[in-house]
Amino acid sequence: MAASRVSSYSLESQRVSLARGSSALISPEGVREDGRSPHECRPAFLQTGAVNAAAGSAYAEFGQTKVIVSVFGPRESKKAQAYSDIGRLNCNVSFATFAGSVRGKAGQSTEEKEYSQMLYKGLEGAVALHTFPKTTVDVFALILQSGGGDLPVVLSCASLALADAGIVMYDLVSAISLSRLDTNLLLDATLGEEINQDGSLMLACMASRNEVTQLLLTGEWSQANLSEGLKLCLDACTKLAGLMRSTLKESTSNIED
Amino acid sequence: MVVGLSAAERRYLTDGIAQGLRNDGRGLYDFRAFSVELAIIPQANGSARVRLGATDVITSVKAELGRPQASRPSQGRVEINIECSSTAAPQFEGRGGEDLSLELSRALYRSLLCNNGTGPAIDLSALTVIEGKLCWNLFIDGLVLSSDGNLLDVLAIAVKAALSNTGIPKVEVTSAAAAEQEADFEISDNPDDFSGFDVSHVPVIITLTKVGRTYIVDATEEEESQMSSAISIAVNSAGHVCGITKRGGAGLDPSVLLDMISVAKEVSKSLLSTVDAEIMAAESRGDDQM
Repeated sequence: MAASRVSSYSLESQRVSLARGSSALISPEGVREDGRSPHECRPAFLQTGAVNAAAGSAYAEFGQTKVIVSVFGPRESKKAQAYSDIGRLNCNVSFATFAGSVRGKAGQSTEEKEYSQMLYKGLEGAVALHTFPKTTVDVFALILQSGGGDLPVVLSCASLALADAGIVMYDLVSAISLSRLDTNLLLDATLGEEINQDGSLMLACMASRNEVTQLLLTGEWSQANLSEGLKLCLDACTKLAGLMRSTLKESTSNIED
Repeated sequence: MVVGLSAAERRYLTDGIAQGLRNDGRGLYDFRAFSVELAIIPQANGSARVRLGATDVITSVKAELGRPQASRPSQGRVEINIECSSTAAPQFEGRGGEDLSLELSRALYRSLLCNNGTGPAIDLSALTVIEGKLCWNLFIDGLVLSSDGNLLDVLAIAVKAALSNTGIPKVEVTSAAAAEQEADFEISDNPDDFSGFDVSHVPVIITLTKVGRTYIVDATEEEESQMSSAISIAVNSAGHVCGITKRGGAGLDPSVLLDMISVAKEVSKSLLSTVDAEIMAAESRGDDQM
């Protein structure tokens, strides 16, 4: 896996080496830099029960993106917080200092804050908050390696961890991102593709309820492109949800053994 | 934000919306009347104040000369920062407004510039002075003075107005220095010698707030307190969607989502023309005063 990675360049020089226009990222035959076709997702690996101390946890690996999510609680809400007859979801996303090609700085960056907000918004519609009044559930996500599509991987992994912790949810949340380069729609983009994109779409949904919990779109989109992108993401989310479900089933059958 | 509504008031509000009537007499897809003032901050390169109902925001644009990023030598940089003043609501005091500020500034940034800063709304290559050496960086600052709902949409209008009011001084390069040397340049001190900014591609943002089964445009704070979910859609003059941010809440059916997008596109047409007209009117008012 290390063979294809740029080793120890600074971010700036990596950005320059990655900024090379869409022609280098996708061949005329429609093959992407890592050999996938445009509408093919990266190989995904999911596992529950990655952290011992947590009430529930999950590890996810999508290509070069690796994240770990722990869920703690429900525990009593902090005294300073006002009474609430529904539960609170406390989401926090952080990057490991070694996650990118430049060493991260200590303290919460704006990106981490934004990801934390997005994670909360993607999950709040799926978690049955009324089942744990007055209490808080902590969702802590750590991005070990940032390789593109970090937020959707965190979202999917977090919902798996919540399920592993036995928090009541309406459905699992699966999320996927898509990058647009010129007219090409590339599903589940890598970091290189994300840097060169001129539009992006991230969709998180509850596949079996057919509900979108989070949607982010950037860049200028025509209606045709937009509909196609949404459909691609929805289909990919449904497939991913199936994979997540079988991961959960597997982990429970291991316990029974 | 906590809005103290009694059960009866809540019922009045939500049942009204379900029947297509809102408590201030508007239809579901009607914006409140708004006013635009331009050039209210003399120190800035461009500024605007927009009032929509009781929501009141100020935006300013400052241009500074700087070095372009190595990865994008032929482009300037734009930063957007929104601040929620504690004069608007007690919850904004100290770090209280931080979350909302971040949410608003990121949503604006995404709609205007895509998330890697190459968006279609602002032509960043027009900000270059000498490729790889000198460019203009734009700092867009928004201040929320008073909030009665629909902050993002108002801020987007204010940013568009402030950019239309922005003048970037002419820079004259006095010596075409060799590649390694710093270039010499002079900023024109003639106040009339500046170039304007093309804002025709800057989108407006329309937030659709779902209350019950219906969704409404330009929700007030009272209406926002009853929302089940909300989605902000940026649309430009070509009718293309430039950004979508879901602002939390419950899940949405994909078909409802597509409906909301087409409603936003419809609403954007009249909103864009009203915004343009208001900006024009504000400009002519400004000219009269001079």
